[in-house]
Amino acid sequence: MSENALHAKFQQFPEVVREKVDAALSDAKIALKLRAAEILADKEEMAEHAVTTAGRIGAKSGEVSELTTILPLKPNGAERLRKFFGLVGGNLAGAGQVGTLHNMRFVFLDNDTKLLFATAFDGEWDPYIDDFATKIPEFMDYLFSNVEGWPGITSPDVKDFIVKYQIPAEAWFVAHPNLTVAEGHRLKRQEAAVQRFLSDLN
Amino acid sequence: MPSPLFRRLRRPPTLDLDDIQATLLRARPEPYFGTHAILEITEPAAGRELLRRLAPRVTSAARWDEPQPSWLALAISYQGLVALGLPETSLASFPANFRAGMAARAERLRDTGVNAPERWEFPFGTPRVHVAVTVFAASEDDWRAEVAAYEKELGEVPGVRLLSHQDFAADGFNVFGYRDGFSQPVVEGSGAEPLPGDGRPIKAGEFVLGYPSETGVPLPVPAPDVLGRNGTYVVFRKYHSHVAAFNKWLHDNASTEAERELLAAKLVGRWRSGAPLALTPERDNPAIGEDPNRINDFDYSADPRGLRTPLGSHIRRMNPRDTKLTVLTDVNIRRIIRRGTSYGTPLPPDRVKDDRKPRGLDFIALGARAIDNVEFLQSEWVGSGNFMGLGKEKDPMISLQDKGAYFTVPGTPPRRVQNIQSFNTLLGGEYFFMPSLSAIRWLGSN
Repeated sequence: MSENALHAKFQQFPEVVREKVDAALSDAKIALKLRAAEILADKEEMAEHAVTTAGRIGAKSGEVSELTTILPLKPNGAERLRKFFGLVGGNLAGAGQVGTLHNMRFVFLDNDTKLLFATAFDGEWDPYIDDFATKIPEFMDYLFSNVEGWPGITSPDVKDFIVKYQIPAEAWFVAHPNLTVAEGHRLKRQEAAVQRFLSDLN
Repeated sequence: MPSPLFRRLRRPPTLDLDDIQATLLRARPEPYFGTHAILEITEPAAGRELLRRLAPRVTSAARWDEPQPSWLALAISYQGLVALGLPETSLASFPANFRAGMAARAERLRDTGVNAPERWEFPFGTPRVHVAVTVFAASEDDWRAEVAAYEKELGEVPGVRLLSHQDFAADGFNVFGYRDGFSQPVVEGSGAEPLPGDGRPIKAGEFVLGYPSETGVPLPVPAPDVLGRNGTYVVFRKYHSHVAAFNKWLHDNASTEAERELLAAKLVGRWRSGAPLALTPERDNPAIGEDPNRINDFDYSADPRGLRTPLGSHIRRMNPRDTKLTVLTDVNIRRIIRRGTSYGTPLPPDRVKDDRKPRGLDFIALGARAIDNVEFLQSEWVGSGNFMGLGKEKDPMISLQDKGAYFTVPGTPPRRVQNIQSFNTLLGGEYFFMPSLSAIRWLGSN
């Protein structure tokens, strides 16, 4: 599309949208401005993916929240964690029992001196931390005792400790914001039942 | 006469029962009479004097299993501790949600719309709610005598102002016509004998500050130790109950009395007598409701799909027992001691028109985690269905329902009952700290 055509298309957006885009992206190319205007003008899509707060800290879209931390590692902390991750081949299948966890990753940074821990989970920041302290304390402490200053999962200071190293996301997108892990399980069971029904029918 | 629902003290207690307030362990009598009063401290010295005067009237939990004609409980909000002139180091040792107060936690508690703090009745939601005094009594005369004694002290201390005075009375059944208040966790070290279905005793530190909790270590205790130890937190929430709307919804969705009673039992998880669906799924059996050895003697192991007791029913949400939850949760750290009281007269099931009279429930939860737990319950177990795999379905009795909400009665096929409404509306509430008897004396002398 020619530059003029892009300008013409941009002009078709409501003035309030154009003004917002121009103010924030005054030095951007018209093609980018057009993309930004398209995003802002789609009210339904914007509403479905609205970014709210995950409570204490972090962003939330629909039911799904994000948590990103960069934690200082103890000397040889990365080595010990690598042994564990190596043993299971990087497969943390057991974490599925948490039931709110969509995904999580462990990445070593800065010559193994820091750990990037990032996860997407259902609901808000606070509700289930207390449950980890009585349901899976050994696992939590095994993983995080390699982190400098880890107070222990049963410590009253553990929440403040995590918050200290959490970096809230500036932008957050979830394809299906209202699809929790539990809902996903239910839909899989439902789909299996539908498929069984169709097979039996034929 | 002691209520048949009174527990018996069968083992030697290991808690400092002489120092812990009675309400933590003492069951409500049946029938019961009482008053909740909210006070404002306008002069720190006057607040301390009132505590000195009331201290001898506050009853301890010693011999909590023996009947007592009346007793008095006292709890203080964060603003109340400030008004008493507590030092900053001590104030800062209280948890953040207690310091913020209930109104400031509205988002976390899902107290929005008609339940929002802006719509609460005075004095709730204002920083003037400082001290809560509750009188419980087993007879009208004892209640009046206890209230008169406390009011005499109050009247002699200028600088402390009465903001609200609410009387309550009931016979053990709430205004919807259901027996309530009989399911409590067993506190380890209290000496209580577990009744069938109570589950294992739960570590004392979950309910009283200063003792090991379920994690093995005590939860944080406010400083200094004399102030925090043997204390606990109280969550107070006053609800107006829309009994006529509840009755009408039942009439709209069921055509005979038997069908209505069954549908209502599916919402609650129990029949009016207290008998659980788990033990008597087709009709009420008052003999079970009257028997403390049977009323809680069940689990959900034979009912994973909720065909008897719906997964979304009120009692299964509030105490899932052995239900397999979709989210990793320790049900033993989510227990609260409930000392709720009913006010106003019940409305019979055939009344479907609102008479606009005040009636409802003062929800009262006690425990070392009571504030965290009520915030957890409100957002996870009341305001959502995700933990049971029920999507966005909410608690059918105490949640704030959205437009177009429904309740699913499991079955083959399941029945989806439309247009369920909010049957209880929040009128206000506050977070309180319930100090030990020695802490009350300490606060009074400081």
